[in-house]
This record gives sequence, C-alpha cells and structure tokens, in this order.
Amino acid sequence: METEQSRAPHRIVAFLTVLTERPLSLYAAAVLRIGYGLLYLVFLLREFPHRDEIWGPGSPWTPELARELFDQTGWASILTLSDSRAYFETCYVLALVTSALFMLGWRTRAVSVLFAVVVASFHARAIFMTDGGDNLVLLMAMYLVFTACGRRWSLDARRTRRRASAGKNTCPPTVRAATGLRDSRQTLTSVLHNCGMFVIAAQVCFLYGSAGLYKVQGGTWGNGTALHYVVNLDLFRPWPELSLMVDEHDVMIGIACYLTVLLQVAFPFVLFGRLKYPVLTMLLGMHVGIAVLMGLPLFSGAMIIADAVFLPDRFYRSPGQWWRRTSSRRDAWSAAGDLPRGKPALVPSQLAPWRH
Amino acid sequence: MREARTRVEPTEQRDRGGKTPAHRHPPAKPSPVLLKAGTSAAVVLCLATALIHVLLVFLHVAPPNPLSRQYSRQVNAWVFPLFEQNWRLFAPDPESVNREISARTMHTGPDGTVQVSDWFDLTAVDNSAVEHNAFPSHTAQNTLRRAWSSYLETHGADDQPRSQRALMIQHYLTNIAAERISGHRGGAFESVQLRVITVPIAAPAAAGGAGSAAAAPTSAETRYLPWWKVTSHGN
Repeated sequence: METEQSRAPHRIVAFLTVLTERPLSLYAAAVLRIGYGLLYLVFLLREFPHRDEIWGPGSPWTPELARELFDQTGWASILTLSDSRAYFETCYVLALVTSALFMLGWRTRAVSVLFAVVVASFHARAIFMTDGGDNLVLLMAMYLVFTACGRRWSLDARRTRRRASAGKNTCPPTVRAATGLRDSRQTLTSVLHNCGMFVIAAQVCFLYGSAGLYKVQGGTWGNGTALHYVVNLDLFRPWPELSLMVDEHDVMIGIACYLTVLLQVAFPFVLFGRLKYPVLTMLLGMHVGIAVLMGLPLFSGAMIIADAVFLPDRFYRSPGQWWRRTSSRRDAWSAAGDLPRGKPALVPSQLAPWRH
Repeated sequence: MREARTRVEPTEQRDRGGKTPAHRHPPAKPSPVLLKAGTSAAVVLCLATALIHVLLVFLHVAPPNPLSRQYSRQVNAWVFPLFEQNWRLFAPDPESVNREISARTMHTGPDGTVQVSDWFDLTAVDNSAVEHNAFPSHTAQNTLRRAWSSYLETHGADDQPRSQRALMIQHYLTNIAAERISGHRGGAFESVQLRVITVPIAAPAAAGGAGSAAAAPTSAETRYLPWWKVTSHGN
C-alpha cells in the first residue's frame, strides 16, 4: 500500500512531463490533417458545378438570409462579405488552394488557421445544407489548429529534414542548447497539441457514445428493424437493387442493428485495450457500408478519418519500417539519387540568424 | 499565454545580448523564473480549457439531464455557434417516411387571366440525381430534405410563421421551388405552391411486429401549403 501511495504522485509527475515535453500521436495528427484536407478538397471539387447554388450569391439561401441568420446566431462567414460573383469565385479558389496546402502540410500552423476559417465560412454560409459529416469536418478543422499536425508526412517535415541533413547532421531538429524562450515555446506547442488531441479523441467518443445512447431509446433499433427503414429512404439509396437485396435479409438487418448500437455504445470503453482494433475494424466496415449503400462517402470518410486518431504511432510507422526493411537495396539507390538534392544547402545560411 | 510571451521577450533579449557564454544555465537568472511561471500558467490554462471544453460539449450532446438544464446558459454560450453538434444519426428512430415534394406556379396574365401550372415533382429530380451515383451532391440529398425538416420545426400545422426564423425558412423554401422550376421549365410566374406527400415505409413483412407497426402511419398523407409570393427570383 505504501508503494501504491508513493507511486501515485510519481505517475502524475510522469504524466505531466509527457504532456508538456513531447507531442503525442504525431502520426495520427498527420493522418487527420491529410484526411480532412483531402476530404474537403474532394468535396469542393465535387460540388464545383453546384457551388453557386450552395454557397454563392445565387443560392436560394440568399446572402441576405444568411446575414440575417448570422445576426441571430453569432455565426460569421467570409462568403457574405460581398455579394459579387467574382468575390465568391475568388473565395472558392482560395478554399481549394487552402485545402490542398493543408493536406500537403505547407506552413501548417498558418494554413491550418486559414483552413479552419474556410471550413467555418463555407459551413455557416450553407448551414441548412449540412449533415453530420460536414459538422464533424468543421469540428476537426477547428481542433487541428491547436495540434502540431504538420510534424510528420508534410512539406514542413521535409523542409526540416533537408535543413537538418544539409546543415548539421548531429543536431536534432530542436536544438538542445536553445534559450529558455524556445524551451517554453516547445512546452506550449506540446501542451497545445496534446490537449488538442485529447479533445479530438473525446469528441469522437462523444459522437459515438451519444449516437449509441440515442439509438438505444428508439424502438426500431430495439426490435432490429431500423435499418429496414434506412435502406428504404429514397434519397439514401443510390443503388436500389443493392438496397432491396439487403432489405430481403431481415435476420442480417437485425444483427446489423444490434451490432451498430453495441459498437457505438461500447466505443468509448474499448479504446484503452487491445479490443479497440477489432472494434475499429468493424466500424470501418460499417462506414464503408454506409458510404456505398447510402451514397454518403463524405460522411463516412469524415468518420473513418476521425477513427484514425486512436491508432498509435507505431501502427502508422510499421508500413514504412516494413518497406525500408524489404527494399533496403532500393533505398540505397534512391539515396544515390538524393545527391542532386544538395541544392537546399543554401537554406541553412538563411536559417542561421534565427538559430543563433 | 500571449501575455506571458510578450512580457518575457525583452528580458530574453537582454539575456542574449549581455551574457552569451552563460546561457546554458538559465535558472541562475531572474528572467527564466518569470518565463517559467508564464509557461506554467499557460500550461494550466491549456489543460483547464481542454477539460472545460470537453465537459461542456458533453453536456451539449448528452440527452437533457439536471446538470445540463442547470448550466444550459453556460453550455450554450460556449458551444454556440462553432461547436454546435448533433449526433442523433438515425436516432432514436430513422425516418420511416419518404417525402415527395412538388411545386406548381401561378401566373397572372396582362389581361387578368390566372394560369396555374401542373405539379412539378422536385423530389423526383433529387431521387434521379442520387440514383446510380456513388457520390451524390448535397444539393440532391440535403437541400430540400433539410429545408422541409426545418420548416416542420419552425411552423405549426397551420403554416403560420410565428417567428422570424420561420419566415426565413419559408422564404428559403419558396426560393428553392422557384429556382428549380424556372431552371427546369422556365416560364413566368408570381407565386408558387408546395405540396408534400408523406409516404410511410411499410413495416418489414417478415417481422410484422407490434412495435414497428405503432411507429409509422399506414397511409400516405398530402399537405398543401399556401400560395407564396415569389419575391426575389420571379421571372
């Protein structure tokens, strides 16, 4: 018992140390960045022919109506600043570019703020056209601003790596002999990131938890017929033959109903053990099913990307490590090919004043 | 957090300019103490904000309970508008009806004759846009569906707009109908009327349970909305 007591404060200290010194789950953050950047880019490209109808000055939800609603709700949007068509098209291009840059991780922190502004603006402008997927993308865009989502798999990471290899090979990216200011900046970055990731994880748990709890209250989920009604909704039946086929198997539908509710309610509780892998796999299957059967790829994509936050760094690194192990010879090849990359050697001299 | 940083920066510069060789021992100087205090304060602020945010979002998404009722003002002030969310995805029960929304137009000629058009099935257009499309547009799946559900939320059964919001939604629906009709059919008109047929989805034949039978009405229902003047987009 004594050891238990003395261990508890130690644990708290250790926890705080990790929280303040090291950004956790950097790969998951990168996956969220790439995922939501790509998803929004695809969304904007998909709705390109309908852009004026959804967000433009020609929308049935007119700019005046949108502004009136903003006055009531406190929303804001860059899209209602002007009713001119040219301004709208400019914003659209800006949104496309921002999404692409966010996905690529170029100057990520600044671009992530821009991305959040873009997503919030487009969401607010067409608030009566959004669904759960749009809502989730908005929340994630907001939370990702606080994370260090550009540290891995990004143009920023590539730049840092090149600088490091072109400059001092022995120096880690964060120079240890840094001044106190840089230390505290690093602490703040880590804390912000870790808090951001914690909020994202909690958000996903709330999503599934409440979706499950509300379903438990419904009679059709209880008697296993809910999905029968879902597959018969005309607007969510892109492949009527497929939906009809699914509808014929009422036992399967019953099982799927129960499984859906169980998975959603259980979700927050399985995350801390090995059980999370089968549960996440089943959720992945469920979302792929929703994407195809109901014609909701955007919604499903947003959910799948959100689930990715729960996979640890070693999961994301393992394919790369495997790749490196199996193709070490090819690595040697590409290393030789890297030589012309000596060009960025110019960069460290630019960096120098900042580093001293 | 920003405050802490700006407060610290001048001392930092002095520190850098004055004692370059000694900057490996930050605890020896007074400025790092301040810096440390500022950083700790920022860390605490971050943690507290994250926890409060999570708590308030939980109260927002959870079913209404004594706690969320007591703190509803704080919860709403924090959550709206940016963090508003609703995860009642097909819950508590999925919709058990399909809605067929049609519209027709009225045109008064120069000689005073009134012409009423045939019904134009707006939902059929949406349905055919969704069918055999792996990535349907929001304009097909969400526009009319959400406009109508918002109308139901803001209006009573008598189609009387009792709030500003209700009036706005009515305006929105009018615009959707007017734009779609003039896009598909053209022609001049001054007002539109909507007709909403609610078709219940039959309970599964095999189950035929007592529970599901209660959930859905058995026959289609037709609702005619009043004629609305087309204000902004009439041709």
